[in-house]
Amino acid sequence: MERKWIKEHVSDLAAFGGLLLCIIFFTITTQLKGESIWSAAKLSALMADVIVTALMSVGAVFIYSLGNMDVSIGKQIGLYSTVLVLVGNKTGSLIPAVVICLVIAVAIGVINGASGEILHMYAVISSVVFSMILSGVSTIIYSNIGSRNIALRGVDTSCFKSPVVMLGVLAAETLIIGYFFNYTKFGKYAKAIGANKTAAEQCGVNIVKYKVIPYVFLACTLVVASLFQMGYTAAASDSTGVGFEMNVMVALILGGMPLNGGMKSKVLCAIIGSFTFALLDIGLPIIGIPTRLTFMVKAVIFLAVVLITCRKKTGILPR
Amino acid sequence: MEQEIIFEAKKMRKEFGPTIALNDVDFVLRRGEIRGLIGENGSGKSTIMSIASGMQPATRGEMYFKGQPWKPQSMVEAQRAGISMILQEANTISGVTVAQNIFAGREDEFSSFGVINIRKMNVEADKLLQKFGIARIKASDPIDRLTFEDRKLIELVRGVMDDTEILVVDETTTALSLEGREILYRLIHRMAEEENKAVVFVSHDMDEIMEQCNNLTVLRDGEIRGTLNRGEMDAADAVKTIRYLMVGREIGEKYYREDYDASCGDEVLLELEDITFGKIRNFSLKLHKGEIIGFGGLSGCGMHDIGRIAYGLEKIEGGRVLRNGAEIKTPLQAIESGIGYISKNRDSEALILEGAIGDNIVLPSIPGMERATFISPKQEKKLADAQIERFRIKCQNGRQYVNTLSGGNKQKVSFAKWTAKDSEVIIMDCPTRGVDIGVKQYMYGLIEQMKKEGKAILMISEELSELIGMADKLIIMKDFKVTGEFCRSRDLKQTDIIEYMI
Repeated sequence: MERKWIKEHVSDLAAFGGLLLCIIFFTITTQLKGESIWSAAKLSALMADVIVTALMSVGAVFIYSLGNMDVSIGKQIGLYSTVLVLVGNKTGSLIPAVVICLVIAVAIGVINGASGEILHMYAVISSVVFSMILSGVSTIIYSNIGSRNIALRGVDTSCFKSPVVMLGVLAAETLIIGYFFNYTKFGKYAKAIGANKTAAEQCGVNIVKYKVIPYVFLACTLVVASLFQMGYTAAASDSTGVGFEMNVMVALILGGMPLNGGMKSKVLCAIIGSFTFALLDIGLPIIGIPTRLTFMVKAVIFLAVVLITCRKKTGILPR
Repeated sequence: MEQEIIFEAKKMRKEFGPTIALNDVDFVLRRGEIRGLIGENGSGKSTIMSIASGMQPATRGEMYFKGQPWKPQSMVEAQRAGISMILQEANTISGVTVAQNIFAGREDEFSSFGVINIRKMNVEADKLLQKFGIARIKASDPIDRLTFEDRKLIELVRGVMDDTEILVVDETTTALSLEGREILYRLIHRMAEEENKAVVFVSHDMDEIMEQCNNLTVLRDGEIRGTLNRGEMDAADAVKTIRYLMVGREIGEKYYREDYDASCGDEVLLELEDITFGKIRNFSLKLHKGEIIGFGGLSGCGMHDIGRIAYGLEKIEGGRVLRNGAEIKTPLQAIESGIGYISKNRDSEALILEGAIGDNIVLPSIPGMERATFISPKQEKKLADAQIERFRIKCQNGRQYVNTLSGGNKQKVSFAKWTAKDSEVIIMDCPTRGVDIGVKQYMYGLIEQMKKEGKAILMISEELSELIGMADKLIIMKDFKVTGEFCRSRDLKQTDIIEYMI
């Protein structure tokens, strides 16, 4: 194999190789411990672990391809989960709740996407502001309720616990986002903006419009992710979604996503990264790594992947 | 008596994957030489000296500098040892001053206990600027306030130190103003003739090479095809010989348009009406069907602004840009109405360097390829491949990244975007910058063909010969004002025009 080819595809190789290595490693080591990572129970746990991160990450590919990031993801998931429970309890159905969540999510997405370009600031700043606002909203809601947890009553959420449904929804979302990312101008323009905004603009790309659309895609996927987040426990709390934006970032990096966006961005990065992340989550405790150390191990693996794939002279962090 | 050899490469080879950029080349450079290196895009002319100046390593081969084995690990190491290279593209550090750019990497010379004495640095920088004859630029000026041309001069000041033994000028003059070129020419002649140093001059501009160099080496497909001394360069058929060595075939005498028919259609395809923008006041222009209007002048005279205004890139203070009766205010409106724009700043504005050639070519054409949101990859490939074939872009396929191409091939990609879009009006800002003679000839033929097809072209260029050779009407600007207008004529000479520019 040519060195140049390897150099060009180092991110893909590290991502695919990492996932493959995790699969082989945990298949062998869990057998030695008398367990199997491929048992029905573990597969179910794996899907439960992977689904929310994967659903969010698939949507986030769009905004990472712009070279942007959204740090309000976790807080948004928290708010939508809360709204799903509150409105679900009030109406006895999740449909009105989903509609309300979609309206809020799209509004936040539009503001996040447009403000950076219109106000000439990094888009991440707007998402920081939203993160703070949503944190405040969450505090107000749970203070008024007088509890830190709320449970959904009278609505059946068992379908959100089914690994088959999880897999089906994830596959459908990946196919839809993959289509828009690879075969429509929405994805092509997003990658072009991430790679060279000036060149994209001179080729007729409406920068504000095609920066907003990726955030709208993300908004929709966050609502879907919130359904599974809330549905799994049929509850929400003031800590729901905390740190999810970092999970998305780690998953995308593990999947080989270029952090400065551009033409090398791929939807597959989200899937590979999320499954690698979940495999580590499930596999490490089985092979006897104490839970308190799993974060350390994941941090070391994350650092190694960053060093291999993201170290570039021209590399800049998402903004 | 022959001068001492200062640099020598033996069996130098450079491979980029399956592409052989240099094929076991032997190259000798002597003191006192101003050696021209000429060749088509991708011929390997820049590669030789980029290896010698530590920019990239050779795949194999030996190098000797001042008689000693030479294998620089970086450009900084080469510069400290005496080989400096001035590159084609902008290479200044944004966000700092002129002085900080000049002394980048040499801050220790002005610091004590870790604190840099900015005042001392500015004084030294001002002395250097004065020495180079550009005292109008101040050491304390922020670099970003300088024009692209002036930033190239700062690179020159930074690159050339007292102990520079070999200066490599790689396609730099295309990015310099007339004043900058004069400064550069004075410098290289002083280095070679008075200080007994050596200069390697990589250029596509045959006239410039013939005028400035005392020896000339021609490369093609990674091999040296011939070296001419001054006497051979002065021979009557020298240009023909060099062109043959470069291209490997007779390319004929036809270069620019041979007709002197400046007629065009009555229909106005683009109109600039009473435009006011910055120092440009009440500028008007009508570009007709089948017309080529050339804009000339010194860089910074306002001609580049006219192109940007016509394409909707600038927010004008007064007046209107009209196309088919509709006002153009954004590039999107311009493209939708059939206008294309080739930017002067190729790498930063025209191309996605970290993107495939194919993706770059199809980008402006995407809206027209949509079928209910779906864009067919097959159709994209077909469109891109046709342009790659048409422009003979040297690449393995359309998936190859643009940043792996030579300067001229990048320019072809930049041009191909708008031919793929089949734009009716094309604004070309320095369209043949950094392009070799064979491709230039092809592009001129293409521009002529476009005129015959009824397309309208706004051609902005710093090469007067190109404008005289191609334009139906030539507008000369100075200090943001139109100082002269010339119609296409057999008798029109550069000397008639220059007085309106300076």
